[in-house]
Amino acid sequence: MKILVTAKRVPDPEQKVKLKGNELDQSATNWQLNQFDEYAVETALRLTENASAGNARDGEVVVVSIGPKDVQQQLRSTLAMGADKAILVAGEDAELDAEIVARTIQKLAERDKPDLILMGKLAADSESNDAGQRLAGYLGWPQATFAGTIEVVDGGKALLVGREVDAGIETKKVTLPAVVTVDLRIVAPHAIKNGKTAKDHAYAEGPRYASLKGIMAAKKKPIEDTTLQALGVTAQKRIKTTTLEAPPARKAGIKVQSVEELVQKLHSEAKVI
Amino acid sequence: MRFAFSDEQRQFQRSVRELLARQCPPAEVRAAWSSESGRSTSRWDSLVEVGAVGLLAPLDWVLPLEEAGRAALPEPLLETTAVALPLLAAVQALAESLDHGAILTVGLDGALVTDAHVADLVLLADGDALHAVAPSKLQLQAAPSVDGARRLYRVAWKPSDATLVATDCGAALADAFDRGALAASAQLVGLAARLLEMTVEYVKVRRQFGQAVGAFQAVKHQLADALVAIELARPLVYYAAYTVTQRRESRSTDVSMAKAAASDAALETARVALQCHGAIGYSFEHDLHLWMKRVWALAAAWGDAEHHRARVAAALLDGESGPRRIQ
Repeated sequence: MKILVTAKRVPDPEQKVKLKGNELDQSATNWQLNQFDEYAVETALRLTENASAGNARDGEVVVVSIGPKDVQQQLRSTLAMGADKAILVAGEDAELDAEIVARTIQKLAERDKPDLILMGKLAADSESNDAGQRLAGYLGWPQATFAGTIEVVDGGKALLVGREVDAGIETKKVTLPAVVTVDLRIVAPHAIKNGKTAKDHAYAEGPRYASLKGIMAAKKKPIEDTTLQALGVTAQKRIKTTTLEAPPARKAGIKVQSVEELVQKLHSEAKVI
Repeated sequence: MRFAFSDEQRQFQRSVRELLARQCPPAEVRAAWSSESGRSTSRWDSLVEVGAVGLLAPLDWVLPLEEAGRAALPEPLLETTAVALPLLAAVQALAESLDHGAILTVGLDGALVTDAHVADLVLLADGDALHAVAPSKLQLQAAPSVDGARRLYRVAWKPSDATLVATDCGAALADAFDRGALAASAQLVGLAARLLEMTVEYVKVRRQFGQAVGAFQAVKHQLADALVAIELARPLVYYAAYTVTQRRESRSTDVSMAKAAASDAALETARVALQCHGAIGYSFEHDLHLWMKRVWALAAAWGDAEHHRARVAAALLDGESGPRRIQ
């Protein structure tokens, strides 16, 4: 199985971001791989290995990112985890939106013909959660979003995807090629069944760490550099940022003396009841 | 020459940091005080899996050891990776039969042995001879440590031909002591950095007289001094890792410079951290003491600052620059 995984770098969610005018102050930003994309990489690796036979590889995992040259660092970390190849499409964060991302991945999918595209369910910075859906629509492929479990079925021709929806778990069968976006629980110990690894195999919770061996091996793995123009992407950005400002500081709360006082304040001051 | 770690070494440092952030949070360090063995097999296995156990060159293990200090890791990464495995390699006794994830520990010159209760093999010096003894053949007597997560033992044993690994290996044993001191220095820098971070976070939110206590100069200056001490110690540790890896003649003196500076920096940071936390820092329930007591223990282990300053003085004044075991 050939899997294309998207990976976006985002500002460290633990770090307080600084703004410079109407933009993020990139000089003061610590970048890291979007966590849901890291889960997608882990999912792809679990789908293409036999963990019951020393993690023998059976398939290809290609990780793609769009961004400036520095994104190589995040791509190298996915190669160190075990991905086979990476593609870096040159672009500036401020010039991208879900439309351009979806159109770019569409072009790559048409060029490289993967069996499956795995994406994080959303990026921690924009939280727009629509690139995967747009991509599936443009490709005309089936999609399964918010995947919490994946099982390879029909001899590798389809996936049974457990989707985390408001009402619980919805199980959906998608024929390949397909677009799947992953949620947090996809990296639980028993979330992936690939037909090769023993069904009762328990992975460690969470994405794997880059081992020293993996880091050294990643040095020799290729990162293809390309551009939006080279891929023939003509889409224009549809989202315009008019202003960017930090949320207002939270005001201190008040202590009430009794339930009656609480109800009265909720009614007359907060006006929520 | 570019005197800096490679991108791969830095990437591996981040990987170890992420692993320990997930598998060795403060609650796990606290648990190590009270659990029976005080050690986690799964955490050790994870460290083995990523390759943090078994790195022989100090330039490769110094950053992971710094991270181990930062997380106050209870497991004996220092003893296994920095001391025992390179010692076996130095006397050409690194057998293939030794399990890849084996836990090793050492007893040099009568020092207390850490983690003998969980070790697969204990290396013990008898004069200039090196012995390898299975823990089942040792009589272990637990010794108290100021750091409850640190498990120390007095060992009683009988050297024999069956345990003998090598004779006349005084130089290798002296190098092993230096590597232990260097690894302790790296851990102290990591511990101090974490203590400083904890304290800076605390003084930003602890308010008194209508403002965060971190706004007061008396607090800011102490924290700035601690930062300066850590930032001065860190390059000394890295440089010593370089000269030990390169087996430069000056390596013992470089290690002593690093250990003296790292011990002083970490002890001073621990003192400042305690003072800036105020009364809560004294409480057992707060995490501060878990790091502080590790600092106290490691600052005294593998030769304290006074011992290492004396070694530097001897090198400068008497020209005694080669590796020497602790007296």
